[in-house]
Amino acid sequence: MFDLPLFLNSSLLSIGVFHFFAAMITIVSLLVVVSQHPVKSAVFLVVDLFLLAGLYASMDSHFIAAIQILVYAGAIVVLFLFVIMLLNLKADSIKGLRFSAPEAAALLISFIGFLIMTFNVFRGQAPEGIKGGFSIEAIDANGGNTYMVAMRLLTTYIWPFELASMLILLAIVAAIVIAKKDKILKSLIQKELR
Amino acid sequence: MVPVEHYFVLATVMFFLGICGALFRRNLIMVLMSIELMLNAVNLVFIAAGRGNSSLDGQIMVVFVITVAACEAAVGLAMVIALFRKYGTVNTDFLRILRG
Repeated sequence: MFDLPLFLNSSLLSIGVFHFFAAMITIVSLLVVVSQHPVKSAVFLVVDLFLLAGLYASMDSHFIAAIQILVYAGAIVVLFLFVIMLLNLKADSIKGLRFSAPEAAALLISFIGFLIMTFNVFRGQAPEGIKGGFSIEAIDANGGNTYMVAMRLLTTYIWPFELASMLILLAIVAAIVIAKKDKILKSLIQKELR
Repeated sequence: MVPVEHYFVLATVMFFLGICGALFRRNLIMVLMSIELMLNAVNLVFIAAGRGNSSLDGQIMVVFVITVAACEAAVGLAMVIALFRKYGTVNTDFLRILRG
């Protein structure tokens, strides 16, 4: 077992450090949404994902923190940046917020939902779920977070895991077919049909 | 230990910001990025609730959410590229075929 930095250790994570992370995540999320240029938004999204990975690590979810950085910050956001680069958008098409009656109504409804959720969170105790047998101490005693997640993922949840791989395969094929130029696709289909 | 409720409030704020971005940005890429933000808020809730209940299933759910997010980003961006080829814009105001 390697030791996390002291301030990230879950039992020692002070409420102040959490509030710092929370404030940073809120500010950076706001910047993701309001930045004028998509590249800036993507970079802020990377910062946001790293901060979230820090929070996950502070909750002893080391495996999730690692794949958050590898898959999200390393692959998905790079994909976004690639597409932004490929499209080479002109300045007038990327700017601008839109505000009209349907959007205002949607904002109002989502804000009411936000208030209801926040009110419910602050009103009292969160409903007590069934306590699983995976307390932090039990996980550490049985081989650590990554080992336990892998064991559970590859035994109990093996079928969803295999289905996820099928989903990725489908997404690869779908992305290629959708993004292909029409002429190339037509000639490919013709060749297949012949 | 930070109470689980704090994480829920943070995730709610993130989700709300994601909804605002998805509704108010004109650029289709920005809409997709806001959806990623919302998915991340959901991931935070899964992990916080899983830790609060001493369960690993929240973390396993997050693995699947990240898988679906990757697929969604790949297919969504492919659609953005196809739309840009066809119409020369990714501004949602000009893509109004389905709006009637």
